[in-house]
Amino acid sequence: MNAWFTKQRRLIDFTLASLLRRKGRNLGLLAVYALLVFVLASAMLYAHALRREAAIILEGAPEVVLQRLVAGRHDLIPPGHLERIGRVRGVQEMRGRLWGYYYDPVVKANYTFLVPPDNGIAKGTLVVGPALARERGMSENTGISFRSYSGELFSFVVADVLPQASELASADLVLINEEDFRAFFAYPAGHYTDIALSVANPAEVRNIAIKLSKQLPDSRPILREEMQRTYASLFDWREGIMLALLSASILAFAILAWEKASGLSADEKREIGILKAIGWETGDVIKMKLWEGGLISLTAFLLGFVGAYLHVFKFGAPLFAPVLKGWAVLYPRFDLVPVIDGLQVATLFFFTVFPYMAAVLVPIWRAAVTDPDAVMRS
Amino acid sequence: MIFQPAIIALLLASAVSVAMLAAAAPFAFQIIRQWDISSGSERQLQLERRTYLFSTLAVFVMATQLLALLLFVFNADKMSEMFVGAMCAVGTLNVNPWGFPALIAQMAVFFLAAGWLAVNHVDTRAPDYPLVRIKYAAMLVLLPAVAAVLWLQLQYFLNLRADVITSCCGSLFSEDTKGLTGDMAALSPVPAMIGFYTSLAIAFATAAFHAQTKRGGYWVAATSIAAFVAAIAGIIAFVSLYLYEHPHHHCPFCILKPEYDWQGYWLYVPLFAATACGIGAGAVQPFRNVESLKNVIPPVSARLAAIAAAGFLIFALIATVFVVRSNLILVE
Amino acid sequence: MRPSTGAAAILVTLALAFLACFGDAHLSRERRADEVVAMRVMAAQLGLTDLALFTEARYTRHPSQADLNSAFQDHALALEHFPSGSLIPPRHERLVHKTETPD
Repeated sequence: MNAWFTKQRRLIDFTLASLLRRKGRNLGLLAVYALLVFVLASAMLYAHALRREAAIILEGAPEVVLQRLVAGRHDLIPPGHLERIGRVRGVQEMRGRLWGYYYDPVVKANYTFLVPPDNGIAKGTLVVGPALARERGMSENTGISFRSYSGELFSFVVADVLPQASELASADLVLINEEDFRAFFAYPAGHYTDIALSVANPAEVRNIAIKLSKQLPDSRPILREEMQRTYASLFDWREGIMLALLSASILAFAILAWEKASGLSADEKREIGILKAIGWETGDVIKMKLWEGGLISLTAFLLGFVGAYLHVFKFGAPLFAPVLKGWAVLYPRFDLVPVIDGLQVATLFFFTVFPYMAAVLVPIWRAAVTDPDAVMRS
Repeated sequence: MIFQPAIIALLLASAVSVAMLAAAAPFAFQIIRQWDISSGSERQLQLERRTYLFSTLAVFVMATQLLALLLFVFNADKMSEMFVGAMCAVGTLNVNPWGFPALIAQMAVFFLAAGWLAVNHVDTRAPDYPLVRIKYAAMLVLLPAVAAVLWLQLQYFLNLRADVITSCCGSLFSEDTKGLTGDMAALSPVPAMIGFYTSLAIAFATAAFHAQTKRGGYWVAATSIAAFVAAIAGIIAFVSLYLYEHPHHHCPFCILKPEYDWQGYWLYVPLFAATACGIGAGAVQPFRNVESLKNVIPPVSARLAAIAAAGFLIFALIATVFVVRSNLILVE
Repeated sequence: MRPSTGAAAILVTLALAFLACFGDAHLSRERRADEVVAMRVMAAQLGLTDLALFTEARYTRHPSQADLNSAFQDHALALEHFPSGSLIPPRHERLVHKTETPD
């Protein structure tokens, strides 16, 4: 064991000395390699953290949301609909929800107006989301007026601004009293936007949804699970697009690595020739070169990953956020809660180190088996 | 579904492995037919040079397969969030009929690769490469195995459908299930414990004995495989119960989950490493009488056996710690 | 100093930084647990079904509530107005809808 260790150590010593002789070239390679890992790791970390936040927010979403469809489009729930559903076994609570969109021409953005389930907002007041408050310069007790879709001007007082920490879920929210909501949107009395159901037993959710869609053929139940999946697949998709875009750079890097290893400079060839002439075995040369590849790829992986972590969680991912989060006028500002997915790190390691090692194998061998005299004579 | 980074990585690893082995196959035939170490001909020189490349490639492929098994299990466990009804890797692997065959094939290739690496290791230590033909013949056998893994993985990943409602580990590993898994779960704890510790003790003893005396190498492999099977059965029958602190949860995959602090990896990594080393020690035994290997094989197989013994010991200790630390009482 | 010692030092430092990332993630998750809980509670109270990530259109503000069977959600031939829309994947889930009713 000890002999083996000493031998490897000497090989590493030799490798490093030879790497340092061509400092510029190898440092350049290391930098490009680390940059590649950095870009890939940033995309992975960011997408995963967003996915996590989405999962946390949606944990409390209603178990089932029941929409009514007319001609394939979402329509209002007419009066009497709730009663028609009647009592479905297993449904704990059923309530009509009121929410809608409002386009604000001042900032050219859409708001989401929502009546909280407990209707806890006093008449004439609003509770607004943090991004909206920032955009319109609102704070507690500021007055604000919106021109409704009927042309009438409505004035409200901002009672509160939702906490900044919740911005990811509440950036554009406007919480409003039910009466105000109906008056502002001229919402027909007794109508609702959709119905939220809460179900006590999670195993029953699916059956209840099937029962509901049989009972009310014009309705579409949306399960909480589907909402969660929508977001999981949304961020997967974006990450996939990002990685697809980056795959070009992975290929470019593979070419670079191949080039670097196969286009051994005359210097390196001579070095290998001399090594063999003084009695190194082909196996030793290959081992030395593998150590070289292993050291470079491991260093680059660690450097790139640590850089990506700092970039995403300490500096807010300025380089990728637009692609991964999307774009909007009213964009939430949020600090992601750091979370690292072990599988992703393992995958990334596999993706970056594995192709590099695979790409350099053949060129290394080709150099290692050349006859020393052929090399030195050329 | 196939555009998950981890899935792409796994398929890439398998595809590259198959491609490398396939590229080496014609060369392997050439070696088997024309290798002659005593000849000084140009052709022999060519062959000798190329063995460096293909041996390195093969080592690379085998090492990849060892890592791929870990990634495969890790990935299956992670993907369970995406399937209705899946709680752990069992659910994910049950989504279609290819999941478990893919896992078992990957495990088989893992152990075959371990054996091959051991043979390769002793062969490169001898100046005349006495096992070159056998090594390359074995590589030709491994090629279809690795290709089968790739094919199974492709079938498995291509047929993953998120809308399939899969079954969870509770139904596969329960006392009432018909079949092997159910029987393992139904083992009552005391006989299971006796079988578990006895087989581990025997495996440890033979491996330690071989490490000391360099005798009984085949027994190391045989008892290692037996201990592996007994250990898996023991994990299903009682270790998992203690880990979950639940008298009816027998799943050997849930212990890999972060909720249980990845305790499963503490069990499986030493177990797989020990079994692989045990198999490696056995794989080199047929060649211990080859002239140039007489001084090479004994120390190597002794070291492998020592690692195997240590692995089984660590595994048994960790399992014992889990059992003792648990709040569940199965045996009065 | 032998080069291998230097390389080992660099690698160990990097490996420690790598592990520190995991530690830091763990600590900041614990530190910000209250925030996360507050957000979850708020979302549950209001019955929110979506994140406020893309506010420009109905089907981007509430992707999970958007119509399923209308390919062009605003009007026929409305391909895509918004960059976010093109980055939201087509939906394939058919969880409940194994019934004979259309969505």
